[in-house]
Amino acid sequence: MSDSASSFPGRPLRRRSFLRVAGATVASSALLLAGCNDDDDVTPVTTSNTLVLTANTVGLLNYLYLLEQLQAAFFQKVVDAFPDDFTADDRAAFTDLRDHEVIHRETLKYTLDTNAYDVNLGTNALAFKFDSFNLSSRSGAYAAARTLKDLSVAAYNGISRMLLTDAAERVTFQAHLKLLVKMASVESRHAAFVREQLQSNSFAAPDVVDTNGLDGAKTPAEVAPLIAAYLPITLNVAALPFI
Amino acid sequence: MDFLNILARLADLSADTEAGAAPRRTALARLGQAGATLLPAAVAVLPRPAAAGVQDNSTVLDVLRLALTLEYLESEFYAQALALPNAAAFFGSAANRNAIQTIAVHESQHVALLQRLLTEAGATVPSKPSFDFTGSKNGTQTALFPDIFTNFDTFLKVAQLLEDVGIRAYKGQVEFLQLDSLLLGTLLRLHSTEGRHAAHIRTMRRQRGAAVKSWVNPTDAAITTTGSVPGQAYAGESNTAQYTPAPRLIPFDTTLPINVGTPALSKEALLAKVAEAFDEPINAATATELAQLFIY
Repeated sequence: MSDSASSFPGRPLRRRSFLRVAGATVASSALLLAGCNDDDDVTPVTTSNTLVLTANTVGLLNYLYLLEQLQAAFFQKVVDAFPDDFTADDRAAFTDLRDHEVIHRETLKYTLDTNAYDVNLGTNALAFKFDSFNLSSRSGAYAAARTLKDLSVAAYNGISRMLLTDAAERVTFQAHLKLLVKMASVESRHAAFVREQLQSNSFAAPDVVDTNGLDGAKTPAEVAPLIAAYLPITLNVAALPFI
Repeated sequence: MDFLNILARLADLSADTEAGAAPRRTALARLGQAGATLLPAAVAVLPRPAAAGVQDNSTVLDVLRLALTLEYLESEFYAQALALPNAAAFFGSAANRNAIQTIAVHESQHVALLQRLLTEAGATVPSKPSFDFTGSKNGTQTALFPDIFTNFDTFLKVAQLLEDVGIRAYKGQVEFLQLDSLLLGTLLRLHSTEGRHAAHIRTMRRQRGAAVKSWVNPTDAAITTTGSVPGQAYAGESNTAQYTPAPRLIPFDTTLPINVGTPALSKEALLAKVAEAFDEPINAATATELAQLFIY
C-alpha cells in the first residue's frame, strides 16, 4: 500500500492535532502525556494509513470502537460463508456473536458521535484483513474467534489502567465506564463459549485466567501489535495515557 | 489532592499484578478508616436516566466485603458438591466434574484474594457465613432447591443463578472503585472470570436440554419466578434502554443500523439481541438479599 495515498479519502489531515499528539509522544512520562490533555479538540487524527488515538477518553473509546469493528467484520465474514462443517448450532451462535458485535460497534459509534475516527469516511470503512485465519473449517473459524475474543476480553479489562490527571477528563471516563462494563462481561461470555467449542474445559483455562482467578487484562500498547495483522492501517496508541 | 494521589499511585504500581501489592495497604486503610464515600461529587450530579434505584454510597471496604460474601457463597457451593460422597454419580461425567472443579478453584482463589486485600487494608476479614444451598435456612423454612445436591440439573440452575448474579453484583460496584485504578482493574477481572463461568454453566445446561443461551436472553427458560426474591437475579436483565453519558438514549429500535442479518429480524427479535449484548448491574442491597437466600 502506498504511503502517500490516504486510505481515508474523506478525511482531511488535521495537522494541528497531529502535531500536538506527535509532540506529546516524545515526552518520556505517561504523566506528562496525560497532563498535556486539556484541549477539547478531541477527534483522533488519521494521517495517510495511520490512526493516531488521542490522549483522552475519546481516544480510548475509538480504540474500543476499532476492536468492535474488527470483531463485527470477522463474524460477518464467517456468517457470509459458513464453513461446510458448521452445525446449525454453530451457525446460530456465530449469528448471535455477529449481532452482538454489531450492536457493540454501533453503541460505541453512537456514543462517539462526531468524535468517531471514521465519522467522515462514509462508505470507505476499513477493510480488515483476515487472511491469516483459516475460515473454511469449523476448527479454523473457532480458533480465529478464540484469538479475537480473548483479546477483546483483555482489552476491556485493561481500561481501568487509563490514567487521567485532568479532573474533567476523568469524569468523562468514569461516566462511560458503566456502559463499557455492561459490554465487557458479554465479551467474556463469548470467549468462554468459543473456547469450549474447540477444547473441553478450556473456557477459563490458565492461559487466560491467572492463579488469582483473574481474567486477562491488556493495555492498548499490548493489544495494538496483536491486532496489527488484521488492520489495513497502522494504529498508534502511544498517546493513550495508560499505566 | 488528585495530582499527588496520582503520583503516589505511580510510585506504588506494580505492573505485573493487580493483586496483593503491599504498598496499597496505606491508601486502602486510609479510605476504610475515613469511611470515605468514593462517589465523587462530579459523578453524583450526573443525570441518571436508567432506573437508578436506591442511591448507595459504598466505600471500598463495603465493596470488598460484599465481594467476599459472594465469593464465599460460590466457593462453598462448588466445594460442597465436589465433596459429595457420591460425587462421581452426581456429576455424571468427568467433563462435568472437571468444569465444576475449574470454577471451584477460581472461586477459592477469589476468596483468598479478597481476604488478602482486606487484610492488607488493615480491615477485619469477615468470617465465612453458614450456608444452606437448599434455601431452607437450615431446615427452618421450606426449601427452595431441595434436590440441590442430588439432582445435577438443579445444581446447574443454582450455579447459573449464582454466576449471573455475581456478574451483575460486580458490575454494580464499578462506580465505587473508579478512583482506584488497581482495585477497579481487579474487580473488572474478577467480573470477567465470572462471565466465563456463567457462560459455561449455561452451555452445560443447554447441552443437557435446557432452553438457555450462553448469554442472557429474555427467552431463556426461567429458573426463578418473577417477583420473588430469587427472581431479582434476572429482574431488569432484559433492559434494552442504554444511554450514553450525555445522556442520549441509544436508538436500537429506530435508526441504529444493527439489523444486518438476512432476513432482517423482527423488532422483538432484534431487541432480544440487544438485551443479550449487555449485562445489567444490580446494587449491593439486591445482591445481598440474593446471597441471603443461602445464608443462615
